[in-house]
Amino acid sequence: MKNTIKIQRAIKDLTQEALAKKISVSRQTINSIEKNRYVPSTVLALKISEVFDKSVNEIFELEDED
Amino acid sequence: MNKIQKDLLLLPVLFKKIAFGIMVLCVLFVVLSLSKVLTIEKGVVKTITSSGLLMSLLLLAITRNKTEDERTLRIRLQAFAASFIYGVGVVIIEPFINLLFDNNFLSDKGVTELLISMFLFYFLMVFIMKRNR
Repeated sequence: MKNTIKIQRAIKDLTQEALAKKISVSRQTINSIEKNRYVPSTVLALKISEVFDKSVNEIFELEDED
Repeated sequence: MNKIQKDLLLLPVLFKKIAFGIMVLCVLFVVLSLSKVLTIEKGVVKTITSSGLLMSLLLLAITRNKTEDERTLRIRLQAFAASFIYGVGVVIIEPFINLLFDNNFLSDKGVTELLISMFLFYFLMVFIMKRNR
């Protein structure tokens, strides 16, 4: 699953640490999600989308192998 | 922290200090008995230190991290599953290894040693998974 968290962070001028704090996870978790090594739960995906004021579909996108 | 993480009932971070404290006490106890400051039977020393070590490892395993989220929960559960499989694997394979090297099919490893090695495997798995993710 692809995601645009890195781009959204840049637009909002948020560091990984700041985003992690906002959604109560560790910075390493944000890093793992950005690098597509960890697929977040629905709850976490919704929290991320809320921070960026976007729908989940605008941030996360399914790939062929999903 | 979400509902699942709350339901796990992990101990507060403070227990990590208690666990390390017990570990230090165990080491101190062994050193004192080896240097003959304490005159206690060898078997008693072994039982006390292995129980203390097991208790401290258990406390470390069930104590909350500073930041506990769904990824750490997943790592925790995967590491527990891996260490369980490791334990079962050791019990199955050990007699064959003994047979190969000592010509003896009987297992001589005690439960305490097995549990300690399972805990060490668990911590190794957590460390590796945290680094690779």
